[in-house]
Amino acid sequence: MSDAPKRITLEQWDLQYEKLRAAGAPQPYYGGPLSRHLKDGDRRLLKLSYDNSAAALRLWNLLLTEEDRLHEARASGRKIVGTMKDLGTVPVMAYSLKNAVAFYPDGAWWIPCVMELGAGLLEIADSLGIDESFCPVRAMLGAFVTGAHFPLPDMLVCSVGATCDDFSAIAQRLEGLGPEILWWEMPHRREPEPDEIAVTLPGGFVAPKRQVEFVKSQLQGIKTALEELTGERLYAEKLSEGIRKANQVRRCLSELRHLAFTAQRCPIPALEMLIAEMLAIHFCSDRQETIAVLTELLDEVKARVQAEVGVLEVDAARIFWVNPVADLQVMNLLEDCGGRICGTEYLFSHALDEVPEDSPPLDALAQMALADPMVGSSIDRAQRICADISLFGAEAVVISRIGGASHCALEGQVIGEIVQDELDIPVIEIEVPPVTDSMRPTVRTRLEALVETVRARRRPVPK
Amino acid sequence: MFALSKTVLYTCPYVPAEWIAAHGLRPCRVIPDSAGTVFSLAGREGVCPYVRGFLAEVTDGDRAGAVVMTTVCDQMRRAFDIVARRCELPAFLMNVPNTWQTPAAQQLYVDELRRLGRFLIRHGGKSPSNDALAAIMLEYDATRTALLEARERLSALRYAEEIAAFGHDGPDAVTGGYRGSLEPITRVPLAIVGGPLMKKEFRIFEIVAESGGRIVLDATESGERGMCAPLDTEALREEPLSELARIYFGGIVDASRRPDSQLYEWFEEKLTERAVQGIIFHRHVWCDLWHAELGRLKDLIDVPVLDIDTAGDFGSEENRTAGRIGAFLEMLQ
Repeated sequence: MSDAPKRITLEQWDLQYEKLRAAGAPQPYYGGPLSRHLKDGDRRLLKLSYDNSAAALRLWNLLLTEEDRLHEARASGRKIVGTMKDLGTVPVMAYSLKNAVAFYPDGAWWIPCVMELGAGLLEIADSLGIDESFCPVRAMLGAFVTGAHFPLPDMLVCSVGATCDDFSAIAQRLEGLGPEILWWEMPHRREPEPDEIAVTLPGGFVAPKRQVEFVKSQLQGIKTALEELTGERLYAEKLSEGIRKANQVRRCLSELRHLAFTAQRCPIPALEMLIAEMLAIHFCSDRQETIAVLTELLDEVKARVQAEVGVLEVDAARIFWVNPVADLQVMNLLEDCGGRICGTEYLFSHALDEVPEDSPPLDALAQMALADPMVGSSIDRAQRICADISLFGAEAVVISRIGGASHCALEGQVIGEIVQDELDIPVIEIEVPPVTDSMRPTVRTRLEALVETVRARRRPVPK
Repeated sequence: MFALSKTVLYTCPYVPAEWIAAHGLRPCRVIPDSAGTVFSLAGREGVCPYVRGFLAEVTDGDRAGAVVMTTVCDQMRRAFDIVARRCELPAFLMNVPNTWQTPAAQQLYVDELRRLGRFLIRHGGKSPSNDALAAIMLEYDATRTALLEARERLSALRYAEEIAAFGHDGPDAVTGGYRGSLEPITRVPLAIVGGPLMKKEFRIFEIVAESGGRIVLDATESGERGMCAPLDTEALREEPLSELARIYFGGIVDASRRPDSQLYEWFEEKLTERAVQGIIFHRHVWCDLWHAELGRLKDLIDVPVLDIDTAGDFGSEENRTAGRIGAFLEMLQ
């Protein structure tokens, strides 16, 4: 275990880094002091709080060096696959091939936050008619236009159908600018009818076998395209091995989440946990290193839990968080207000559930894709959230609205009502833009009120 | 024709009215008056006014026997959850694929029609024979053909109202007898492009006429663009359900399609054929699918475009809309 766990600033991290280096702590190839990323324009880093462990440093450095890895992959002749919207499925296929690396251009939605709007991506999206009434993922358009944040992919794949309209519309706008997109259909997951064969999906949702077969046929098309792109056959054995590796990541995250969300003292901050979960989607362009980073983080968390130490007060309000935040600093803010994360549904639970290893691999991936919480009803998603709240013992829920996102217009109401009906715990909705500075007092007030409410509910009712 | 008993509400053009009617039920395409008020949604931001209006119509009263919604747009897909939770009305969510090129997507649409059929039977419908379905399809097709042929003899408003009446009440509602002479186009020919119009927004047709223009192409979802393709009578004889799927899934172009190339092929053809000189691009706020098309339309179509965005309260927006349309027409004249 590192020093006594605590949250530190970027400046403090540089001192901590020197201390680690002097102590001979090993550094991965992408290691170094965190503040060096400021020269890339990542100014938000100056305003974040970080976990002080070497494991967290490695996690941050892996995240912030992804662009370099993609360029290295291109230079070494590997094909770059831009996978859009499915959040976790197609990368499992791509990383099963020797000559492919996959990433989500969707991830550009965090660039306006990390660079504090300095990259001008939203202005480019504006100029293309995609204004602030769309989800911040519109930053992706700007990233494609500038070509400054990731190498342009050799192939672009995008799931449509039961997806949010923002993304579908933005991807179509992108295609209109030149890049060709391989569209694949993701049907809305529905309940099986009485005479249909039902399949229980990873995570517990149920779908008709007919839908699994349909999605499998769509994935088959992507498989063929990947084979043509890389000149490499994606045999079932290779794909099975890819699934096993993905499951290694998922198992690690499952243990990490369980410890982080249920330990008496919060062993790891919310922000590092958010980033750790994100690694499941496409392994931050290095699957092996992702496994290593998560393993080290898990070891650190295990040691802290065993030593009964953590980064927050023991009475922190236990909050379940729905949807990812466009401004990473809000995860810090929750903790500053006296809360801690005890459960999350960041739109990609299906990327955290293990992929079945006892089914033919393409079947298994189709099941996983259909388990996406966003392709089914908000009612389904709310039920899963309720189950996880019970599992992790959360005392309240924050539904974080993504400004302009089509799913946020109505789902928050459905989720909030179901959670309150079934569990009788407080729920609030907040909207988080890419940079919250101007509305920080409002968000803070709402989070503080929630924490106070949670604490008040703990007090025994006077007789 | 069957005795049509229960009314089945829908609004999406990909729901074939003939299929509902063939089950002995009364299809009724809802076009909301305006954004309306849904108590449970009060204060929620980001809800598309059309979705809000549709929810208000569906959740208000007990005049219907069932409602069919589709996955064509995400907000409507999610509005289904509100209907399912708040309404006693039996509700069906039909999966309409966004991709359209593959046999798998086309087959998915056919499968969904079959599933819709089972839903209709569970709620008072009866399974149609092929002959019965074909007869109803022929009747609808004849009415649609008559409507399309009447376009030049009708004012743009009347044409839109006739299409709406056809959707709402079926072939019997269409008055027919469009024997007037062809109206010479002396006004500036315009197209109106976008998602569906609400009833109060039909006033736009009059505003255009009052300002010296004429809508010669109603490319909204509630207009000509939302009408399916003509029947192939030979294919109808062989397999009516497949032909139904072809004319709807294969015949209606939309901004939700991926890729959306068919939409622009259709625009090119119709705008040229009708010598359109300007486009009124009408969109409801929070409709991402149509909002994003505005930039593409400007990139791809070499005709002036006026963007009219609306929150669905036409009463309070009318003056602004009329002023903008007036200025647009002045520029074109």
